[in-house]
Amino acid sequence: MKKIIIPHIHKIEGEAGFWAEVSRDGKIEKLRLQTLLGLRQIEGILIGRRVEEVPIVVSRICGICPVVHILNACRALENTLEVKPSSLTTLLRKLLLAAQIIQSHALHLFFLALPDFFNIENDLDLMKRFKKEARAALKIREFSLRVTEIIGGRAIHPMRPQIGGFSKLPDKRDIQKLSKDLSEVYDAALFLVKTFQNLSYPSLQRKTNFVSLSPKKEYAFYQGEYILTPKTFSIGDFFSSKIEEDLRRPPVKRVKHLGKPYMLGAIARIKNNQDLLSDEAKKSLGIFFKNHNLTSEKFFENTFYNLFCQTIEILHFLKKIGKLIQEILKQDLKERPFKLKIQKGSSLSAMEAPRGTLFTYFEVDTNGRILDCDIITPTAQFLNNLEEDLKVYLGNLLKVSPDERIRKIRALIRAYDPCISCATH
Amino acid sequence: MRKKPKIAIFSLTSCEGCQFALFNLGEKFFNFLRKVELAQCSLLEEESLKCDLFDIAFIEGNPITKDDFKILKEAREKAKILVALGNCAALGGIPEMKNYQNKEKTIRIIYKHVDNIANPEIKEIDNFVKVDFSIPGCPINGEEFLRLANELVEGKIPEIPQKPVCTECPLAGTKDCLLRKKEPCLGPITLAGCRAICPKSRVMCYGCRGIFKNINPKNFIIFLKRIRSQEEIEENLEIFGIKDDVKKFL
Repeated sequence: MKKIIIPHIHKIEGEAGFWAEVSRDGKIEKLRLQTLLGLRQIEGILIGRRVEEVPIVVSRICGICPVVHILNACRALENTLEVKPSSLTTLLRKLLLAAQIIQSHALHLFFLALPDFFNIENDLDLMKRFKKEARAALKIREFSLRVTEIIGGRAIHPMRPQIGGFSKLPDKRDIQKLSKDLSEVYDAALFLVKTFQNLSYPSLQRKTNFVSLSPKKEYAFYQGEYILTPKTFSIGDFFSSKIEEDLRRPPVKRVKHLGKPYMLGAIARIKNNQDLLSDEAKKSLGIFFKNHNLTSEKFFENTFYNLFCQTIEILHFLKKIGKLIQEILKQDLKERPFKLKIQKGSSLSAMEAPRGTLFTYFEVDTNGRILDCDIITPTAQFLNNLEEDLKVYLGNLLKVSPDERIRKIRALIRAYDPCISCATH
Repeated sequence: MRKKPKIAIFSLTSCEGCQFALFNLGEKFFNFLRKVELAQCSLLEEESLKCDLFDIAFIEGNPITKDDFKILKEAREKAKILVALGNCAALGGIPEMKNYQNKEKTIRIIYKHVDNIANPEIKEIDNFVKVDFSIPGCPINGEEFLRLANELVEGKIPEIPQKPVCTECPLAGTKDCLLRKKEPCLGPITLAGCRAICPKSRVMCYGCRGIFKNINPKNFIIFLKRIRSQEEIEENLEIFGIKDDVKKFL
């Protein structure tokens, strides 16, 4: 029996350890990915608190994707309290969410994942070697952070999005400026797509289920009534009877769908919503298939391609931002006073976070205090799938040197872009 | 050439938002890193250099797991200057809200079997190690970090001007003071330096930077009681971990 242990995997959001046991004849007996953060008990903390405090608290689940935690909680509470946000609020929220996904992807792609393809272990070395790519990634991030700042009031833990709408609306001139800068940022994104187009990806083959929201008219991100697995379920049905949380391995409640692991995030959204991508994003995906000599089937069997899917989503969501900005500029950016009416009830909301579908459920009492709460993050949902992929992948790596093996295991873990802060909230 | 100061950034259990505040500075942060030797930062580097001594260690987050406590202790042993990075490390932060509930009950809302889950009371890191300086805020302000860190790398302990957020509010362009409208705001007792970023957005200040030195918040709390219930005031103080600091004066 041989043990393969990586005590600390760095360069992911949070920290994790890897542990596997391989028998002498090369059978993987056990394999485990252990998250290494403490439990902050955010769901427990929220019980008994006033609904107005919820966006502030859930934001702190994650410093990289606070926006989606805030927006999904606001929508769940609005459903509960029967508040209908204005069309302007929805447009601004979509803009925030698109920027959130781009920001997170750009960070992950360049700073966390790209170094694995060149055996670079330090980002400062990476920036020296890939100056142009670094500039492109920083430009995309700077833009998406600026969107969050202008609409949300701050890039990390924005305070303006609240139940019902925004505490303050942005200045039209700032949005016009965003519109002007967009084409240059789009060029940077095209360059990043090309960079990831030309990488040589490790091989991996394993079939799985892909889960994402399934809106009819636009690519999955904000609107969420149905889940595609590829069967269609209402989000309520999926949440309450098609998935189960495993409480045996704290501090993460791992999730399975009908007893099976499943995949979420960019690769799952593209698998389920390919036809709804922007034209250029679709074209880039086609070119990738051709250059790498891939059928669609083979592409979706290899999770390393999640990275390329993220670059495709950056292209798609930048186009989306352009359209949203045009619609927002047509509107009168004037606040309407809003007073929260408290009533008891419960509701669920689902939204696409950078790493996949986020479920947020709240029950509120007659005093406007939280009675029950459940937040199921994408990483908690795909950790089982990651372990299954690792079992297959480790089987291919038994003959390579131990150092090389560890590098490759880390690379697959990072291709998933796990967010341990979200998973262990 | 003078040797570059060695700095380390450690993340305990947290959202890592304060580290991202640095990262989000983009070029400016990487320019700062050129002046120093980054001896430890798990977000940017795969392997940490085996280092016996740091000039400065920045600590983000709360000690919750055994490893968190170990890292904190080790960082203190190795660092000449230890800095609490952000509200969680400095004041307990959002996770400290748990302390105001029955912590055995809170964890059971999430898990049935809780034997193997670390569930300590949440405490500021200065309860466990000596802290030389705190960079406040949830999240920290990146620009302020650069200013303070530049002094720290020169071996100085910087000073943050001790004045309330209210002094910055009009300068930030806030036209309607929340307190004047009889809405709660903790601006008068909270340390300035954030440029009143929340009140400017018509959101009350919840005091994430902590109360400033040499004030007695007692009279202000008495004033707040005229516009809000005791319960609501206390709950607002719980959010960013300043209830314990304010209570000392009441």
